[in-house]
Amino acid sequence: MNAQDANMPRTIKEYIDELRAALDGADPALIQDALSDAETHLRAECAARSTETEQAVLHSIAESYGSPADVAAAYLETDRTVQAALAPSPRPNAAISSSPQGAVKRFFGVYGESRSWTSLMLLLISLFTGIFYFTITVLGLSLSLGLSILIIGIPFFIGFIGVSRLLGHVEGRLVEAMTGERMPRRSPAARDSGWPDRLKNILSDIRTWTTLAYQLLALPLGVVYFSITVIGLAMSLGMIGSGMLILLRSLGLDLGLDPDLNIQIWGSTPEPTSIEATLLSIVTIVFGVVFLTATLHLVRWLGRMQGRIAKRLLVSATA
Amino acid sequence: MSELARKFQRDLNAGLVALVLLGVLAESDEDLYGYDIAKRLQRAREGDPLFKEGTIYPVLRSLAASGWLSSRIVPSYSGPPRRYYRITEEGRAVLTEWRSVWRATRDFVDQFTGPSPLTESSPTDV
Repeated sequence: MNAQDANMPRTIKEYIDELRAALDGADPALIQDALSDAETHLRAECAARSTETEQAVLHSIAESYGSPADVAAAYLETDRTVQAALAPSPRPNAAISSSPQGAVKRFFGVYGESRSWTSLMLLLISLFTGIFYFTITVLGLSLSLGLSILIIGIPFFIGFIGVSRLLGHVEGRLVEAMTGERMPRRSPAARDSGWPDRLKNILSDIRTWTTLAYQLLALPLGVVYFSITVIGLAMSLGMIGSGMLILLRSLGLDLGLDPDLNIQIWGSTPEPTSIEATLLSIVTIVFGVVFLTATLHLVRWLGRMQGRIAKRLLVSATA
Repeated sequence: MSELARKFQRDLNAGLVALVLLGVLAESDEDLYGYDIAKRLQRAREGDPLFKEGTIYPVLRSLAASGWLSSRIVPSYSGPPRRYYRITEEGRAVLTEWRSVWRATRDFVDQFTGPSPLTESSPTDV
């Protein structure tokens, strides 16, 4: 027991450092959750027992809160079971993926996966969230800089960083919901200290700067995502739609089109009711469907990439 | 408690922590935050706690992720913001089911291990 006592952390910071070390290699989002839970709890405990020294409180923590190793094990175990429960069942097409039919099934299977559609949503709204984040960040940074000659500059900057962290947290939740990339379940605990300390913490915390970078990057990325998605959707739906039109017309259906109107298709201008028009229109529809499917694959991939970018910049293992 | 007993306790706790947390929140009229729940559990038992306070946080979060608890963050005057939890209707349904599983398990296990003299005299035994 005495050996254990000697190893017990004496301050909250030491406890947090040991917990971080015990969680080394785990998902950064899980680490951020665990550290923030522990810090909040330990601070509350110290506040509730304000007559005792931090060392005395920390001394009894091993029995009540659990040692860093115990707590780390609890997080890893819970996360493993939760992830296993929430993860989709193993893909049934894994076994057939090697055969050509399997490849085709996998290619078109993208329609049945909810991730495709949520990624599509994420990319489509990314332009608008990007504009929002970019505006807030540029406005906050330039106002902080402008106000820095006045005493109000510092609290304004701290407030702005608080807002930007909150936005980063909300964005993280959105990204997890849409792409499945595990992000922190709660925002990091605010440190309980005076202005100078808080400012120092903010300036020395790498996540402050990566969050700002993410929010600035959100606009150009949003423009790219939105353009790719809209162009892909418009082209493929356009091909399918016009192909349908020409097909129905070639089969003799009266669509109210000018009978003299000859639509140029794949470089030739077939007679509206000719066999050639029918064949070419079917080719167009097939191309449209393939293009749409490929677009959805691209969208899924972009969604995954966006999840990774968000995780790299918004979550820090050293939070 | 010996190391062996501790390990047995940990294994038992795997599902019980979630059951107890759902129970605490279902009994409570108000929303509770992690620290508050930890202290209630501590007060409810004299001596060694059955599980470490640090282990309730990941379970709370996983219960919330399953939709059995809802949560909101409230700024606190005395420290970092607190996350308050409340049990959802879905959570109550799960609790009802789990409770009957737990009762059946407990009764079954008791048949073979025999209730100890302590629990026999306990008035809270249902």
